[in-house]
Amino acid sequence: MKNKNVQYVTPSGLKVEGPTGLNKPRSQYTPFNFVNGLVFVVVCLVILIPIWKVLIDSLDLTTGYGVKLVPTKFGLAGYATIFSNPSLLRPLWVSVYTTVAGTFLGLALSTMGAYVLIQWDMPFRTLFANILLFTMIFSGGMIPSYLVMRRIGLTDNPLGPILLPAINVYNLVLMRNFFESIPKSLFESADLDGCTPMGAFFRIALPLSKAALASIGLMFAVAYWNDYTNFKLYITDRNLYNFQMKLRDMIQSSDLPEVAGGATENTIRNACIIVAILPFMLLYPFLQKYFVKGINIGAVKE
Amino acid sequence: MASVVSNGALRHEKKPLGMRMRKYWGFYLMFIPVLAFVAVFHYAPMFGIRYAFYSWKVVGDPKWVGLANFEKLFKQSQFSVAFANTIVFSVVKLLLNTGLAVVISLLLNEMISLKFKKVSQTVIYLPHFMSWVVTASVFSLILSPSESGLVNQALIKLGLIDEPVYYLADKGWWRVWYYIINVWRETGWQTIIFMAMLTSIDPGIYEAASIDGAGRWKKMRYVTFPALGNTIITVLILNLAKIMNLFESVFVLQNDSVKRATNVLQTYVYYQTFNSGASADYGYTTAIGLFRSLVGLALMLICNYASKKVRGRGIV
Amino acid sequence: MKKLIALMLALVLCMSMAAISASAEEPIKITIFVDGTIPDQNNGRDQFEARWEELHPGFDLEIIQPDHSSYYDVMQQRMSNKDDWPDVLILSSTYYVDYASAGALWDMTDAWENSRTKNSGRFTGDKVFEGLKLDGRLYGFAPTRGNGCVTYVKKAWMDACGITEAPTTYDAYIEMLKAFKEQYNTAPVAAAGFVGGEAPFINYLPEFYQDAYPYFVQLEDGTWVDGFTQDNMKEALQRIQDAVKDGLIDKETLTYSTKDCRDKFYDDSFGVFTYWAGTWATNLKTNLEANGKDGELVVLKPLEGLPLYFDRVPPVWCITSTCKEPEKVFDVFIDDMLDGGDTQMLFTYGPEEVYWSTKAGTVLDEEYEEGQFHMLENLEKPGALYTKYHIDPMLSLASFADGYYDPKEESVRPEAKAASALFNENSRMAGLVPGTDELSELNGDLTILKSEIIADIALGNISVEEGYARFEDEGGLESSEAIVESLNAL
Repeated sequence: MKNKNVQYVTPSGLKVEGPTGLNKPRSQYTPFNFVNGLVFVVVCLVILIPIWKVLIDSLDLTTGYGVKLVPTKFGLAGYATIFSNPSLLRPLWVSVYTTVAGTFLGLALSTMGAYVLIQWDMPFRTLFANILLFTMIFSGGMIPSYLVMRRIGLTDNPLGPILLPAINVYNLVLMRNFFESIPKSLFESADLDGCTPMGAFFRIALPLSKAALASIGLMFAVAYWNDYTNFKLYITDRNLYNFQMKLRDMIQSSDLPEVAGGATENTIRNACIIVAILPFMLLYPFLQKYFVKGINIGAVKE
Repeated sequence: MASVVSNGALRHEKKPLGMRMRKYWGFYLMFIPVLAFVAVFHYAPMFGIRYAFYSWKVVGDPKWVGLANFEKLFKQSQFSVAFANTIVFSVVKLLLNTGLAVVISLLLNEMISLKFKKVSQTVIYLPHFMSWVVTASVFSLILSPSESGLVNQALIKLGLIDEPVYYLADKGWWRVWYYIINVWRETGWQTIIFMAMLTSIDPGIYEAASIDGAGRWKKMRYVTFPALGNTIITVLILNLAKIMNLFESVFVLQNDSVKRATNVLQTYVYYQTFNSGASADYGYTTAIGLFRSLVGLALMLICNYASKKVRGRGIV
Repeated sequence: MKKLIALMLALVLCMSMAAISASAEEPIKITIFVDGTIPDQNNGRDQFEARWEELHPGFDLEIIQPDHSSYYDVMQQRMSNKDDWPDVLILSSTYYVDYASAGALWDMTDAWENSRTKNSGRFTGDKVFEGLKLDGRLYGFAPTRGNGCVTYVKKAWMDACGITEAPTTYDAYIEMLKAFKEQYNTAPVAAAGFVGGEAPFINYLPEFYQDAYPYFVQLEDGTWVDGFTQDNMKEALQRIQDAVKDGLIDKETLTYSTKDCRDKFYDDSFGVFTYWAGTWATNLKTNLEANGKDGELVVLKPLEGLPLYFDRVPPVWCITSTCKEPEKVFDVFIDDMLDGGDTQMLFTYGPEEVYWSTKAGTVLDEEYEEGQFHMLENLEKPGALYTKYHIDPMLSLASFADGYYDPKEESVRPEAKAASALFNENSRMAGLVPGTDELSELNGDLTILKSEIIADIALGNISVEEGYARFEDEGGLESSEAIVESLNAL
């Protein structure tokens, strides 16, 4: 059964020889393209309406219940309240370094694990795969996890929220799918050239998986950036709070009295939501080039 | 065929285990960190599963109760409704989200204006960043039967309905909107993985297909879609393992009127505990966790088996 | 050789002496586990700790403070390991009942009876403490009452309808709502749910529920009944159904969150709001004013013939059963919290020069003379003043000692003080319901069923009779009777 694997994953067309080039449509203005564009205009509008509500409310110094097109009374006081908060930079810094470190570690573990899992003839490969899959289904629960984390000194330690989510079997298996679509022959010829497994990993597997690294890296980064659970369970030292913890803290404490600097509680709450999304809106365009360009593996194959 | 040849080359004709393992020593080395992480963060806490057979009020000492926790769970009168809802909600949600994510990815892939493609991609990922609480509060506003309810107002203007409908208070409509809101929030995010997969298809294949006279649809059907197949199946099966975790998305959209009809296992257990007049028994919650895991495992094994039957291989 | 041994002996002796004297001077450590009701390190917690230790020489306070919203998760984790138990912790009523019955809490009944606070003559919380007793024993200490909701009516709306007197009867109240409905063409009352999710359940719609209560209550003679099955509940549900039908209560009350309600109240979508007394009176006012609306609110007294507003069971400070010197901890930490002097000042208004000052200076454009008490600017929310530390001065169960300066007049905003005073005079405490096996087994399903019936009746989907028929058909009555029986058997 194992031997059939490659056949399925590799599109049969891969073996067809042909002149290289891009999949450019002959005409730009076909009805299909028009309809397709229209579909996305509608999709984007539908998606943007609820987000628009949050954005406008964050810029509006009055509190309204309905959906508005523009703020009734425009003002940046909501954002000013967040950023005039002297205790905000440290959590931001914690978020940044846990996200960066965690993403790298997560990618390292996922790619190494995935790379091992595509060695179909490796003894114990299936066992390894099952060991990983089993953890997706069974877990010990909140209190035993806490006791383990405490025993190994990862409570109230920023390493806790970095190390714990770094092993993510779901992402690892997806990564394995990408590696699998790399033609076997590339690894074989590397092997024949005396390349070590590590060497082939760095010279073939990783460079040919840029889109995968970008997408799975993004998934890790978002998970780390939005991490709230691990911080709330394992960190009680306020100096180690990340940005999400801080934001929730602020949202909750604005439930308590006093309205600051002309911003209503509603303005501040919505500004917090936008601030939490912002880094990825800014980061995403940089990652996007990996999704747009096809990787021409045709040139190296055979 | 090329693939047969390459497989043949990799094949080791039953050499002794030790020798085969020695060939892969580098790979074993690479797998050590992965195993270490899994052992510490997943397997070490797993000893806690034994508390499923204990009563443990946290401040007292754990007391062995055998299967009493499971009996308690199955005895609850609303249990079967909640269990059925869990399966239906998650399977429908999973199929809808994944299916639409694939369609959107394919359409995005066909888009000619690169700028518009980039904008669309950024926009469709955004909802993923809104927490469920925020999502629910914005949607209950949009679905409101009052004048601020955009959906009702639009449908009335279009002449599709005469009277505003209180969607979230209606058991039937609630489900419809539950799926729609899930699609709204998660579909865009799911396209990430499919988009990445699509980008790794060799453009040479499309070229070759064009030369063979294949049009857009044929290329999509015979080149693009098969390339995605493996990932689609993987995503579906891996998510099956998690379906019993359904909680927050349901919880934030529920209200008193539809609660009993829309409870899933996790929300049901939450209300059970919350209204029990006592703090949670850790043994009981672990038992529920174990039950969910077992169902998840069963579903995953069934699908993996089906996958093997249909396409000759499982997910790993 | 002998000399060397002598020297070494002397050395050892010296060292052990030093060790003994050091240990004698070492302060007694008290670990406390607390949620966000003690402001955190960004809001002067370190100064609080320093000041407390200064007031209590020989003691070292160690504060463990998880994130407010995950307090109970983290607390449960810690409590799962006896070595991790703190000396003192703050608990909500559910955990209080639970932990006390599990024997995790130190019985402070005797300590409390002989405490300085109780016998000070300043203490006004006897009723609250009676409500905290389980089987006549006390396991926790509350420095404040729990607070509850009062009904706020927009003054501007009353003016617009020519209503000069706040309604004092239910009929007058309904007349007022009808006038509002007429004038503004909107349902004048909204709440977060027709029935609350936790005790005291009915506190957001007290005028309509009146004396009805959907949970288990103990009658005067000590017997328990399920309030939901009583006739007054049926009448209450009919009142609510009528009010929704007449457009006096917004039907979306079913799906509103408290945040939705507040937003709608601020943008003038409705005019009568039952919400927390005290500082929230100020918050509602300032948010309305920030919105360009009239912020003046009239606080309704409980309507004639109707019971008082409900006071929540306050969170309580407890000493764990693993605490080594509970009497001492009770004495310095708990009893001193309401000492009428410096410690109470610290717990109420926070550390000096962080929360308040009596030095001359300008705070937020207000000038203060030397010796004039004033609160300082909030470290985390520039533009706002601090209002309190742990104890809300308006809810405190003991006044300051005679002659000790209480800055309440200066520090509390008038509208908050008024709402709070009205509430304190017109409130009663919802009692604790002891846990029974039947309760924990059956009440989950029962509560969901009850709230579904209440919602369906309120929306007019079914009549009151149909609702109660469903209650019987779906096994609600049976569960309810079983629980009542178990409570009466206690």
